Amino acid sequence: MNERQNRKLHLTDILVTIVVALVFGLVFRLLGPVYDLFKIFGLQLDAFIYGIWFIAGPFAALLIRKPGAALLAETAAAMAEVLFGASGGIMSFYYGVLQGLFSELIFAAWRYRKFTISVAMLSGFAASIASFIVDLFYGYLTYLASWNFALSLIFRMLGGAIMAGALAYALVKALEKTGVTHLVRPVTKDDYDALK
Amino acid sequence: MDAIWASTEKWFFKINPSLKFATIASLFIVYLFVHNLNTMIWTAVLFAMLYFAVNGLAGKLAFGLLSLILVFSALSSTAMVFFGKGTHVLFDWYLVVISEESLARGILIGLRTFIFSILGLIMASTTEPVPFFYSLMQQLKVPVRYAYGCLAAFRMLPMMGEELVHIRQAMRVRGLLRKKGMRARYERLKRYTVTMLAQSIRRAQRTAVAMEAKRFSMSQSRTFYYEIGWSRYDLYFLVLIFAAAALGFFLAFWFPLTPYTDVLDQ
Repeated sequence: MNERQNRKLHLTDILVTIVVALVFGLVFRLLGPVYDLFKIFGLQLDAFIYGIWFIAGPFAALLIRKPGAALLAETAAAMAEVLFGASGGIMSFYYGVLQGLFSELIFAAWRYRKFTISVAMLSGFAASIASFIVDLFYGYLTYLASWNFALSLIFRMLGGAIMAGALAYALVKALEKTGVTHLVRPVTKDDYDALK
Repeated sequence: MDAIWASTEKWFFKINPSLKFATIASLFIVYLFVHNLNTMIWTAVLFAMLYFAVNGLAGKLAFGLLSLILVFSALSSTAMVFFGKGTHVLFDWYLVVISEESLARGILIGLRTFIFSILGLIMASTTEPVPFFYSLMQQLKVPVRYAYGCLAAFRMLPMMGEELVHIRQAMRVRGLLRKKGMRARYERLKRYTVTMLAQSIRRAQRTAVAMEAKRFSMSQSRTFYYEIGWSRYDLYFLVLIFAAAALGFFLAFWFPLTPYTDVLDQ
């Protein structure tokens, strides 16, 4: 199989990516109440945990290692939110697609050859910027008091890099030990060498 | 899924799902650029009425989801209300400065969240997943493997939910839920996700292999079990949504409830 064909998303990759996005959605339902608690104070503390919503993108890219995985993961997660009538409704769809796109761009910039923790963190960071772009229109962020605006900016970006990037990397590393990653990743040259 | 529907016979269920989705998605763009508080108030009222008229959910659930949205919308306005910029100060306490302007903008953001949520809910409460994905394939030409992938994944949700309960029970038996602190919280999160992910990935991979063997991902010259087409209800829907949106703007002009016609004005 040549490399080009190998890099296309097959049904297996698609199903795994969507399922992964749904798992994150389910697990974070448990976190939901905690998130809302942070939000009450209006101090933008929630912006730090906000990063966790971007995790599906970088995680899927690190897991599947093919073009389109990050975008698909975030889009599927957003679609599920719309279909299940989650709070936020139709706006989750736009957030999801844009975040996935920005996450994807970072991996594309390295031509899907580098899957290190720094690239993952950059990807999470990019997703946080995407969410910020929508928020600028949506939440009039620039009309907040400057200290509050700065707080939300810093927390959101730190949160994106750490919660979505570094945590995704840690989870993929943990998952590699279980052996399931062999099921879904494209065959590499190392795998062939191991057969010699 | 069957327990939550009270009636799937209402006419909103007969609208082409792709059209419904595209219409509601484009309304997002419209209300993202409305800065008139009166328009938002009237629109929120109108769409809430529409939601109650058309949804196919059981009565209690319909109210429950609405109240969730209300709380969520109120929370989304807190930062702007308490910490927004403004000159006509109403209340001042350390960092909290509530001004007329920040209050108006905060309420508008809350209403905007409410409108987007209620639009999403109108879509969610009148659309079944199976026709929706079939329509995506047929009208929007979404590649077959993506749509079937979504459908298969959604069917796995109940299994995943059950697994989550099992892991929770296993952790409770072993006393892991009693540990406190950030470290324990992180370990717990990792335990949940890694276990869930490993199981789900294995299941998804097995299912996908079976589906590919049955040519689910074939795209040339295929037929569909469900044919989703167009009907007169699509036209009714477009007219109704357009009328509701237009009425929101007119009512704001005829009966302005507040003096804030542009909350971005200083």
